[in-house]
Amino acid sequence: MEAAELWVGFVGAGRMAGGLVRGLLQAGKVPASNVLASAPSDKNLDAWRELGCRTTHCNLEVVHRSTLVFLATKPHVLPGVLEEIRPAVGSHHIVVSLVAGVTIQTLQRLLPPSTKVLRIMPNLPCVVQAGAMVFSRGSNAGDAESALLQNLLSSCGLCEEVPESYIDIHTGLSGSGVAYVYLFAEALAEGAVKMGMPGALASRIAAQTLLGAAKMLLETGEHPAKLRGDVCTPGGTTIYALHQLEKGALRATVMDAVEAATNRACDMAKD
Amino acid sequence: MSVGFIGAGQLAFALARGFTAAGVLAAHKITASSPDTDLPTVSGLRKMGVNFTVSNKDTVKSSDVLFLAVKPPIIPFILEEVGPDIEARHIVVSCAAGVTISSIEKKLSTFCPTPKVIRCMTNTPVIVREGATVYATGTHADVEDGKLLEQLMASVGFCTEVEEDLIDAVTGLSGSGPAYAFTALDALADGGVKMGLPRRLAVRLGAQALLGAAKMLLESEQHPGQLKDNVCSPGGATIHALHFLESGGFRSLLINAVEASCIRTRELQHLADQEKIPLAAIKKTLLDKVKLESPSLSVASASKVSLFTSKSKKN
Repeated sequence: MEAAELWVGFVGAGRMAGGLVRGLLQAGKVPASNVLASAPSDKNLDAWRELGCRTTHCNLEVVHRSTLVFLATKPHVLPGVLEEIRPAVGSHHIVVSLVAGVTIQTLQRLLPPSTKVLRIMPNLPCVVQAGAMVFSRGSNAGDAESALLQNLLSSCGLCEEVPESYIDIHTGLSGSGVAYVYLFAEALAEGAVKMGMPGALASRIAAQTLLGAAKMLLETGEHPAKLRGDVCTPGGTTIYALHQLEKGALRATVMDAVEAATNRACDMAKD
Repeated sequence: MSVGFIGAGQLAFALARGFTAAGVLAAHKITASSPDTDLPTVSGLRKMGVNFTVSNKDTVKSSDVLFLAVKPPIIPFILEEVGPDIEARHIVVSCAAGVTISSIEKKLSTFCPTPKVIRCMTNTPVIVREGATVYATGTHADVEDGKLLEQLMASVGFCTEVEEDLIDAVTGLSGSGPAYAFTALDALADGGVKMGLPRRLAVRLGAQALLGAAKMLLESEQHPGQLKDNVCSPGGATIHALHFLESGGFRSLLINAVEASCIRTRELQHLADQEKIPLAAIKKTLLDKVKLESPSLSVASASKVSLFTSKSKKN
């Protein structure tokens, strides 16, 4: 399917959906005029119109006029929305759910039997095209759908297909993970402020440090332990600092965090 | 070449055993001396065919390379005793933790103008020829002298030259290191026993696991972090176990240990430099010797003994 002829719809027009569409548009994957988004109020839709997308308050219209339909509602709203749009969903549609905690099994149950369904878990930095996304396919989605999604969404960051069981782990690692990084950045800056640096400068430097370190990790492909060792001059400042981090069992705490978020995602999906 | 050991304890025994097993030195070319003939290592040395004597002076006379294999507080006594017999030909190798080259050179220079001194830090696995040794050469020790020692010590494990100021750190890491490993192995074996393994098997498997891991690391270009990852299948047993280790601050405990050993070594060196050593640090036999030779010194009343000023009546 050529991107230019692809009609893309978004049911729900919140922050995640907005992030994805920005990525698609900026990468020139889809013309804005081919994008239609629906939401109950105009609050979110203004931003979409500014991008050149079409908007509506009618979910059914999105399904009628799109081939690729992103479901981007809040979890508790989704069952009602699916019931509403179900009559209009056909075998030509590709339905991609961004909705946290809603399994492929549930989606397939609430949609017509032959529907091509995929489930994606993005993360917040999709908004700046530096996201990390994983997706899984349902029983009727094939290689073509998988390739299409990957092609489109790599414009928003890293996009990988995974078994559905990894999606909750992705939540713990990267969905929530973004918050762990914000916490770390805040703490770094606070340390600097304690030592006498102004807060705003400290915050910018903290963010750039994280960005730079992450960039090196991604670009060199080296093991993080090796990169860490490269920074540690014998008897120098870094090793002293790392010792403090190890004393605080930072590693275990981070592992605990990922585990807790993943478990919570699993629990929530069961509800 | 003949080698002598002043001191016939664990270190002398380990080195003698290692050298003979490596075939770099025949046992009869090794002499060891100690005033204490009851040490278990003494009979071990004798059985090896090493020449054992109670006279430190005899050891000096019959050796080219002279290892000072006594505890650090004893070093000054030894230097005082054998100093007159040290000649320019001797290579004096001190293995004592925290004892500086300059303190030894200072002591010996009253007897010999240009004493060749090398300071080394080794560890007990020299006994099985898997030692870790570093050395630093003193003012009058030539490159060849260092190389000679390096050849000897390389026969019993890894050996490399370092700057003297790193030796305390080496003490903390590989000097004390085998003790950390023994502790870990004991605990690993306990874990095995708890989960149902017979003790002997648990010890054997634990030791082999550490041996194998160390060997892999030494032979690999990879970072230990990468090697660790290679063992951890997603959601598997190992990663669950590692999480426990991290939660317990395993890494920081090890860092703390190396740091503590290094700092303590420096403290002891500092104490030695100040020439004040607590009495408790001195072995009983040596105390008796001191009492014998300096009856005016009241050991009971003095809380500290100044080692460098006590004069031996014998020469």
